[in-house]
Amino acid sequence: MSAPRGGRRSTLLLCFIVAAFTVAAIARLRPLPPAAFTTVSAGPTPGAGPRFRTDFVSARPSVQSHAVSVVELGDGRIRAFWYSGTEEGAVDVTIQTAVFDPVAGRWGPERAIATPEAAQSELWRYVKKVGNPSVGRAADDSLKLFYVTVSVGGWSGSSINAMTSHDDGYTWSRAERIITTPFFNLSTLAKGPPFNYSDGTLSLPVYEEFMGKFGELLRLGPDDRLIDKTRLSFGRSGLQPIVLVQGPERATAFLRHSGPHDADQLLRVETDDAGRHWSPPASASLPNADTAMAGLVLPDGRLLIAFNSSAGNRTALSLAVSADGGYHWKVVYALEDQSGPQSEGLDRAHFRAVVARLARASDATVQVTDTTLASVERLMGSPQGYSFEFSYPSLIRTRGGEFHLVYTWNRAFLKHVEFNQAWLDARLAEVP
Amino acid sequence: MNLFQLRLTDATGLGGIAVAVSALLVIGFGRAWSRSVRWWVGGGLAGLLVLVPIGSLPAAGYLRGFTGDLSVTTVVVVLSALAARGGARSERRRSDRLALKVCLGAVALLLYPLALGAGPFDPYRLGYDSPWLLGAWWVVALAAWFFRRPLLAGCVAAAVLAWAVRGYESTNLWDYLIDPFVALYALGGLLGWSVVRVVAAVRGREGRETRSGPIAAQPS
Repeated sequence: MSAPRGGRRSTLLLCFIVAAFTVAAIARLRPLPPAAFTTVSAGPTPGAGPRFRTDFVSARPSVQSHAVSVVELGDGRIRAFWYSGTEEGAVDVTIQTAVFDPVAGRWGPERAIATPEAAQSELWRYVKKVGNPSVGRAADDSLKLFYVTVSVGGWSGSSINAMTSHDDGYTWSRAERIITTPFFNLSTLAKGPPFNYSDGTLSLPVYEEFMGKFGELLRLGPDDRLIDKTRLSFGRSGLQPIVLVQGPERATAFLRHSGPHDADQLLRVETDDAGRHWSPPASASLPNADTAMAGLVLPDGRLLIAFNSSAGNRTALSLAVSADGGYHWKVVYALEDQSGPQSEGLDRAHFRAVVARLARASDATVQVTDTTLASVERLMGSPQGYSFEFSYPSLIRTRGGEFHLVYTWNRAFLKHVEFNQAWLDARLAEVP
Repeated sequence: MNLFQLRLTDATGLGGIAVAVSALLVIGFGRAWSRSVRWWVGGGLAGLLVLVPIGSLPAAGYLRGFTGDLSVTTVVVVLSALAARGGARSERRRSDRLALKVCLGAVALLLYPLALGAGPFDPYRLGYDSPWLLGAWWVVALAAWFFRRPLLAGCVAAAVLAWAVRGYESTNLWDYLIDPFVALYALGGLLGWSVVRVVAAVRGREGRETRSGPIAAQPS
């Protein structure tokens, strides 16, 4: 062993090492203090009778609309975000937004708030396409919008970006890239909404789908800096987590099952220490054929979930309630159900007739034209025939106690369902 | 392209890519150039890559879409190669590089599979604020300095300092220490070094057998 000689360069290098580590220890070593989940106030439960209505958020023809995320605004209106373009992953896909006025009962005009060109300019790097928005409200009352961008490859090449709005979505900050993985920052996507911690930090459920398929929680500081991340699962079977916060220390998360199809059931994990540790993934006793779900905690502590109830496809979408933290469920209402024997491979005439009937039943104001039907046909047709898809739900409960559910309707439109606690209680009463 | 809207972390990200690419080009094509010419050409190329727009982005921005921000280690390694090019290739310099490759190769083999989901443990998480990770790298840096491996010691210290002052977009120490390019450089270099050693050992044994064979066969 040869000892270092005391040359000038060697001394300078030692000083540099000491200085670098001292600065790092002072500036960066601030372990996160334990923080509790921020529970959402249950809000009033209106005494009105059952209420249930539907309409379309976006029925713009000739585009595909998908992956919606909704949030309540400060004045009680609802703002939705989604992506749309000629087809999923196309370079003309943009992140759109529109506002629903519950008093008027209608959606305002939609507009683009993020495009590949804008993202490229704001992020100072090449961006090929944008996708999957997820919105939530931060502790300082600002809106946080996360969306993915892809520079190379498909969705497994996604990276997450964040934007902030201090005026409920009218204006936005420049997008900022969040670095989440050490391998080219590839393959982190968001679907479920973020939630808050008591220390003002925000947690965003995300998932990886490059080599593994697993869920994670990103914890972001007030300046959108990523300060920690936690695994919800590992391996190759869990995607698109949603986290339902049940108390300051307790939450249950559900993951889309994307593993072997002999076990097509929703995955469930839980924590009793505010997310520091999560249980191993287990079955949640609900069918899940590789599809996204949405959910929330009801004022009485039960869990409400919107999920694809059809076996092996996305032709049915239902609401289910669990009284035991997600172990057992009761399906309380089928929002959509085209899961009969002829759910797939339909001929064109039959498909058009059913689409026209369902569209009119969903929104009396929508004009079902040839263009409308052609839009749906283009997206839902295949050499084997036509099929239906009702998927990617987003569900919130407002401070006034109303529920708003928005989901992809046959890839072409976004359908909005509004109901109240009385309607849900009536459905629960009908279930044995 | 409006350079006045450039954030500090965008400037460092673009700058790191431009410097590394320029240095590699000069190393590749400027073997016969003098040291000062290499530095001037390299600096000029880096400036072009960052400042001259192609459409809405500088050229370095297009590369950044594919590569992400390069680690500080990659930039230091490339610059040290540029500085050393044409100089004496001493045994000490080879040992210095080998130490860096061993360290980064071991990190790459552990970090990437686990961070990409090979198991429940995620070592990447330690890069946010773990005193244990910082302490481990402090030991590595001091050991490298003590055993006169200045490239490894300097890379680690530079990466830690850049992380401390939030020099890049990433808040994770690992992203300053290693990226897939320098990991490939380390693992490829180790593989090449191993092959050379094995071939040399095999030839040495064959040589000894060749020399000892006829002697043993000689009749007494």
